[in-house]
Amino acid sequence: MKGNNAKGQMRVVEVILASFVIIFALSFVNIFAVTPTSPKYEVTELEKLGYNVLHDLDKQGLLPHFVYSEDWNNLTAALRVSLPMDVYFNLTVYDLNRTQINDAPIFYGDASAFENSKNVASVTYGLVGHDSYNPRILVLQLVRG
Amino acid sequence: MRRLIVQKSGQFVIIAVLMIALMIISIAPLLHRTVTYYKHEPWEEYLALIGSIELNSERLVTLSLANYTQTLNQNILTEKLEKWQIDIMKIYSGHGISLTYETAYLNHSWKKQQSLSVANVTFTLDIESIGLEGYKFTVVELLNLTIIAIDESNILVSVKDENKAPVTDLEVGNFKVIDADTNSTIGLEQVISDYDEKEQLIYRLVCNCTVPTSVVVEVWSPENIHAIAKYSP
Repeated sequence: MKGNNAKGQMRVVEVILASFVIIFALSFVNIFAVTPTSPKYEVTELEKLGYNVLHDLDKQGLLPHFVYSEDWNNLTAALRVSLPMDVYFNLTVYDLNRTQINDAPIFYGDASAFENSKNVASVTYGLVGHDSYNPRILVLQLVRG
Repeated sequence: MRRLIVQKSGQFVIIAVLMIALMIISIAPLLHRTVTYYKHEPWEEYLALIGSIELNSERLVTLSLANYTQTLNQNILTEKLEKWQIDIMKIYSGHGISLTYETAYLNHSWKKQQSLSVANVTFTLDIESIGLEGYKFTVVELLNLTIIAIDESNILVSVKDENKAPVTDLEVGNFKVIDADTNSTIGLEQVISDYDEKEQLIYRLVCNCTVPTSVVVEVWSPENIHAIAKYSP
């Protein structure tokens, strides 16, 4: 009778351990779970990403520095580093009259992705000025490659 | 009940109950996250938008204070605020953004041992597209210059911002020392940052001659905000 009890308790311990393994497996699989994409949510997701990236660069002072010194290469590099690899972007800098300021493209990815994709997000961001009052409008287009 | 627990089949019931409980516990947060995921998502995008408007409005106040301390033109802040109000609507057209200001205050108190330049604006932000109304935020920009002591060819000063935090990375080019009696400029050899228990960070301005008893120190912050302090015995 005592022996049977000991066996039964051991099984309880085994199953508790097994349950932990199951929970661990579920959590591990959850990491790789891909959120379902729908046109509406995909665009929302990209817009959120775009706003956050521009806002972070602005907070660090990098965005006004690159825009007002017209350092388009470094601005492209900063965006490439900040955005995920599979997100293509096209940034255009305008003045208040909607005249394009950047003479070189601030672009990464495949141009056809912007033409063919149904889920192109567009984010508008305003800068007030760097050393003087001189607002700039930044239009960032994003698409997943 | 005791029989159920002691026997192997009874233990299987316990095991089954434990497993089901663990499964429910592990699945519940997953289900909750799935249900509420998109409920919260759209707001995050607008948080960055509001943050960007706050950040750039703050930068506008800094620019205006820098301009004011160079020209002492009291209207400079309101002129820039009015322009910004209109331009922000152009920048974010389609969002229904309205940015207004309630109090706009510019002032300076210079040529004292503890001098300051200050700007203070309270903004109200409305964003029609997301139903945001009456969001208020206040921007305070301040530069405080204090002459702590004079010792032969050294002048000890502290430079602080609106949060009473020391302004860092100031160099020779950020300071100017003037003899208050003769109005002549005194050359600066170097500026050394020192730790101070009370002030946290102080600057030791090393002059190329003995510092007179009455002296004026000017500072320009990295944002080009100007302040002038005077030390006299």
